[in-house]
Amino acid sequence: MAHSTRPMTDWRKAKLPVFAFLAPATIIYTVFMIYPLLDSIRLSFYTSVSGGDLTFVGLDNYRTILGDPGWSATFWNAFWNNMKFFAVHMLVQNPIGIALAAVLSLPQLKLRNTYRTLIFMPTMLSVVVVGFIWQLILSPVWGVGPEILDIFGLKSLFGPWLGKEGSALITLALISVWQWVGIPMMLIYAALLAIPEDLVDAAVVDGASHFEVFLHIKLPLVLPTIAMVSILTFVSNFNAFDLIYSVKGALAGPNFSTDIMGTLFYRTFFGYQLQLGSPTLGATVASLMFIIILVGVLFYLFVVQRRLSRYQL
Amino acid sequence: MADQFDLECRNVGKNFDRFVAVDNVSLTIPKGSFFSILGPSGCGKTTLLRMLAGFQEPTSGDILIKGKSVLGVPPNRRPVNMVFQHLALFPMMNVADNVAYGLRRRGVDKATINRKVAETLARVGLPDSGPKQISQLSGGQKQRIAIARCLVLEPAVLLLDEPLGALDLKLREHMKVELKQLQHEIGTTFVYITHDQSEALVMSDQVAVMNAGKFEQVGTPQDLYYNPQTAFVASFVGESNRWRGTVGETTGDYVAINLDKGGVILADKAAHASLPTGQDVEIFVRPEAIAIGRSDAAPDPVPGNNSLTGTVENVLFNGAASSVQIRETATGHEMSVALPQTGAFANLRAGDVINLAWHASQTRCFAGVLPSGIEGGQS
Repeated sequence: MAHSTRPMTDWRKAKLPVFAFLAPATIIYTVFMIYPLLDSIRLSFYTSVSGGDLTFVGLDNYRTILGDPGWSATFWNAFWNNMKFFAVHMLVQNPIGIALAAVLSLPQLKLRNTYRTLIFMPTMLSVVVVGFIWQLILSPVWGVGPEILDIFGLKSLFGPWLGKEGSALITLALISVWQWVGIPMMLIYAALLAIPEDLVDAAVVDGASHFEVFLHIKLPLVLPTIAMVSILTFVSNFNAFDLIYSVKGALAGPNFSTDIMGTLFYRTFFGYQLQLGSPTLGATVASLMFIIILVGVLFYLFVVQRRLSRYQL
Repeated sequence: MADQFDLECRNVGKNFDRFVAVDNVSLTIPKGSFFSILGPSGCGKTTLLRMLAGFQEPTSGDILIKGKSVLGVPPNRRPVNMVFQHLALFPMMNVADNVAYGLRRRGVDKATINRKVAETLARVGLPDSGPKQISQLSGGQKQRIAIARCLVLEPAVLLLDEPLGALDLKLREHMKVELKQLQHEIGTTFVYITHDQSEALVMSDQVAVMNAGKFEQVGTPQDLYYNPQTAFVASFVGESNRWRGTVGETTGDYVAINLDKGGVILADKAAHASLPTGQDVEIFVRPEAIAIGRSDAAPDPVPGNNSLTGTVENVLFNGAASSVQIRETATGHEMSVALPQTGAFANLRAGDVINLAWHASQTRCFAGVLPSGIEGGQS
């Protein structure tokens, strides 16, 4: 073997092209992702005294937000609201997405592409438009909601859901579900299409019903996709801001009952109405959001994903 | 006696819109036999199998299993089970759960399930594999588990859709023998679909050769090989040397066939009595029917013998299945001839000139001209 004494690749020669190919992605990612992230974390360790000069204060900002009675009540309120927001998505959006995908993948379904497009349509609408449409529909004064319910004789059930502390957050979460349910549906539908026909036929010959085929054969095979959809839901829910801002404004009323991490960050950083903004405290809230999402993603990567079996089909 | 047949098709047809996938097929399969349906891809054999399994309903005709019509009966209520091309074992279940799945769906009690699963795994020779995951099995073991999963439901007929297709060559050769052995031991009727003629010939009691939705010929492997009834069967089953020609004049017991490219080949008159003089024909001669001799040793002049000379182009050495490609001197036709296994021609080289001879009874002619491109299945 003539080459056995030399390494297969001469790295001294290979260096230049390697760096040349890596550079664009590395530079863009560093300038627009890593640097802003690190700088905003750095900012959270400072405070601006009068005049705008920054002073290093260590973890004081974190102590303020998590320890000061006023701040901590606001923070934990936003955190738990965000958890509820996430829970509604997990319990409503993803099961509906799975069910729609399962129905879409039935071979005898007619007009498959029409349904798929219609269900996916709201995803393409601007969040501001969606928020506005639903505000109009649900308005107790001039909304069409009560009239629509009246068709089914259910008008008595109607309430000013967006205006009540107890129901506003859940209503907003359901609006978000209505808009985004197409995404889990499409991802799971794609995973279902990848399942070989043979497996389904084999289960049918063995006497499984459609539902049993789904439960025993298809669901285990799309679990990795469902887990991925869940973590994507988690990340996007904890970064959510736009729908609540467009429907309720940054005060996330009534009485902060729809306040989530995104709206809390907005008020803290930029200020709202009479409240002054503080970039350093805002950066602290942003860093806490980053930590929450990081914990969730790490849990997924190191606990959930490792326990899920992926099968060779 | 309809009840001695496990499976019977009466004039079964299947159309997809205007395309005829299966055209008026009738067959009877006796109990406990190994029946193969052999045909090129797209000939309708998988459609036929899916109709037997109940995944598709025939457009016309009737399918009877154990003498009872199964039209309109869903797949799981038919006494048939199916081994799929890619086996379709459930990867999320272990071996025992795979085998038990059908019994569970039928609501069999747990003790019976465990007993039957253990029995069936023992029957296919893998008694200890129950707790194993599917990914831990070898290709041949998966095959046997796929069969076990079907057998545990005690079907009257087991349908197999090219189950050896995904295996590598060596394992495929091995599994052919094993499948035949297994079928012999358990006695269930097997209906086996394949495009590989060697699988069909080796394993089957009866083979149906299918082409363009129709059965060309049904018979024992020997029948198909030695007495093909159509040009398609002759070309699809086994290797053949092929010529085109027209029927010429008759001398004694033999009829002369004039080749399009020049030259004459003799054939038995009795076997080709239906062919009128002047008819266009396809001529087939098996490579192993041709005897070869050194050019210095002229063959004995046997009456009715065809004798040609040719130049060796390639020697394809493959142990017992060795052959030699020869260009015929007079017509320039390329021929393939099997080498005798005695080793007498071990020193044959390209460029050598040799004599070729075969008896007229080994020549087969079929009226009409086949579209080109249909070649025998490779073994």
